[in-house]
Amino acid sequence: MSVKTLAMKTVAATALLATGAMADAHDPLEIVFINDGHVAPYHVAWLTGLEDAIAAYDEAFGGVSGHWLSAEGSLERMIQQVETTINEGPDVMFVNAINTEAFEPLIAQAQEAGIVWVAVHSPMESADYSFTLGDVTNGTNQGLAMCALLPAGSTVGIMLGQAGNPSGEARHEGILNGLSTCEGDIEVVAEQPADWDTVRAQSIAENWLTQFPDLTAISGVTDAYLYPSIAIAQSAGRDIAFFGYDGDVPIMSQMNGGPVMADILLSGTREGWNFVQMAYRIHRGDELEHLYDFFTPLVMTEENHQRALANGFPADVQVYYTDAALEVAEFGYLEFGPDSVQ
Amino acid sequence: MTAATLNTEGQSPKKIQLNTRYMFLIGLIVVASVGFSIANPNFFSIANIGILLRSISVLFLLSMGMTFIMLTGGIDLSVGSNVAFAGGVGVVVLTSTGIPVLGFAAALIAAMAIGFINGFFIGKLKLSAFMVTLATMALARGLALVIYDADSINVTNTTFLWLGGTSIGNFPIVIPFVALVFAALCVVLYKTAYGRDVYAVGSNINTAFLMGRQADRTVVSVYVLTGLLVGIAAIITVGRVSSGQPWAGLYLEFDAITAVILGGTSLFGGRGKLFGTILGVLLYGIIINGLILTGTNPYLQSLIKGLILLGVVLIDTISQRRSAQ
Repeated sequence: MSVKTLAMKTVAATALLATGAMADAHDPLEIVFINDGHVAPYHVAWLTGLEDAIAAYDEAFGGVSGHWLSAEGSLERMIQQVETTINEGPDVMFVNAINTEAFEPLIAQAQEAGIVWVAVHSPMESADYSFTLGDVTNGTNQGLAMCALLPAGSTVGIMLGQAGNPSGEARHEGILNGLSTCEGDIEVVAEQPADWDTVRAQSIAENWLTQFPDLTAISGVTDAYLYPSIAIAQSAGRDIAFFGYDGDVPIMSQMNGGPVMADILLSGTREGWNFVQMAYRIHRGDELEHLYDFFTPLVMTEENHQRALANGFPADVQVYYTDAALEVAEFGYLEFGPDSVQ
Repeated sequence: MTAATLNTEGQSPKKIQLNTRYMFLIGLIVVASVGFSIANPNFFSIANIGILLRSISVLFLLSMGMTFIMLTGGIDLSVGSNVAFAGGVGVVVLTSTGIPVLGFAAALIAAMAIGFINGFFIGKLKLSAFMVTLATMALARGLALVIYDADSINVTNTTFLWLGGTSIGNFPIVIPFVALVFAALCVVLYKTAYGRDVYAVGSNINTAFLMGRQADRTVVSVYVLTGLLVGIAAIITVGRVSSGQPWAGLYLEFDAITAVILGGTSLFGGRGKLFGTILGVLLYGIIINGLILTGTNPYLQSLIKGLILLGVVLIDTISQRRSAQ
């Protein structure tokens, strides 16, 4: 049994003991998460976190079930999945809509069927709740970190999301906001959409390293781009600084003495656990904000944070140091497990 | 056809082979439906059947066009991107003029224009269908992104949304419409000289030419016809989501090709029927719907879809070899 599994079981058992006879009093809760993909490292962690959380909540309280579906990037497939799921009548649906406008007609249908619709990442006015990431703020923090940690005269390439994707565009907007605070010191020499695709990111990184021999840093709107980019820079013997977004454990692990300077702590695992916690709270009648903001601090090493502060990085930006970030990123139950809803 | 190529009941081996294929597909549809309904009784609910049929209506139109193309030995990878492009043109014209008929016409003409480009390069200039349509797949998606400025456009015109968005109870009106299109295409393919040309070009383009058929025109026309069907599919898609979407139709070309192959149309042309395509689309739709209903892990879903396709192709190859012996 892994440390993670053991810890999860301990937390679940503690919660079970604490709630005692209350467990039977809960109505069954069925959760469905419809996502736009399932193969990116972030997605894998996210969906695994969701599955683990459903199992832990079920063990703790009983009657909690659920599953996830992947539209594999296809709008038509996602619509079919949403329609079929509405007909099945779960209690709470999380939908990471490929495009929010396309799903507006279906929200009313879900609500008529008594299903709570949680819009994921891109807020939707008509949804019961929107689970948002604060993408512009997070992007700004990444940009500010670049300003504070890169020397004057640095050149940066930014890898973007899929054209038109609201989340990707908000992150991009934020990064540019942050960089605008040190205008003139850092030059953005290239911007290229990599469509959330690791393979496309690989080819872009290869081109940039050839095209810009003095490239100082690569910024990505997702950590998925950093996996191939770091490997390519290392094999080319190039000293490039990386600024990520997602809080993937393998990327944050490369902060202490490595090329990754800063990251945004989403963590797929944390998000999966937070979904189940949120669904549980909605189901038991807690009052939640319509816009539910996922807590997503900036991550740096303590040394880099001190250096950044000395270079004018705002002191009010909440920063997690690497070890703390890695812990919560890996073990989603620490923040969002069954004991968090006692 | 000589007597030696006919069996005792007067059926050609090709026809027997197709009939066997259809029986096999019908068997698979029955088995899959019964299996999924046992796993989830909701499978046979009226609401779910309506969802299933509506979800395959667009695929059905594209697959019928793809059948015509594949009967000539071609392929069209651009149909999915063309759905987004044609929808974009239609929506932009609609929103700028406010006249739905102009929106409809613009969507159909835009889709047929891409079809004509495909047909011209493949039929007249004799370029590879795969390469040409791979290029137009990127071209049409790029045009869609430019037209939409990569963002969706909301549509509120009820006339424009009627076909894709209206249901009577749980019964989407797009279903009888698609059935009508199917009937019309059956007449074109089986009851006209044009239909015979399509088969002749796919069986042997050189022979068709020697027999006085205008093979190049036939090839151009099947791509334009598919464009027309894509235009209708684009209008239905806009109606279904009440908006124009730059990423609509993503990967639909692969679904359509899969359904047509499942339905028994040869990748090499000259063999296949629209009825087989219906069965292929239906089987594909049932599998997708059933896997969602049963909450099957998506990692497993890809595996199951791949195995079914591989199995059907294998059985098809074996039956072809047996009939050839």
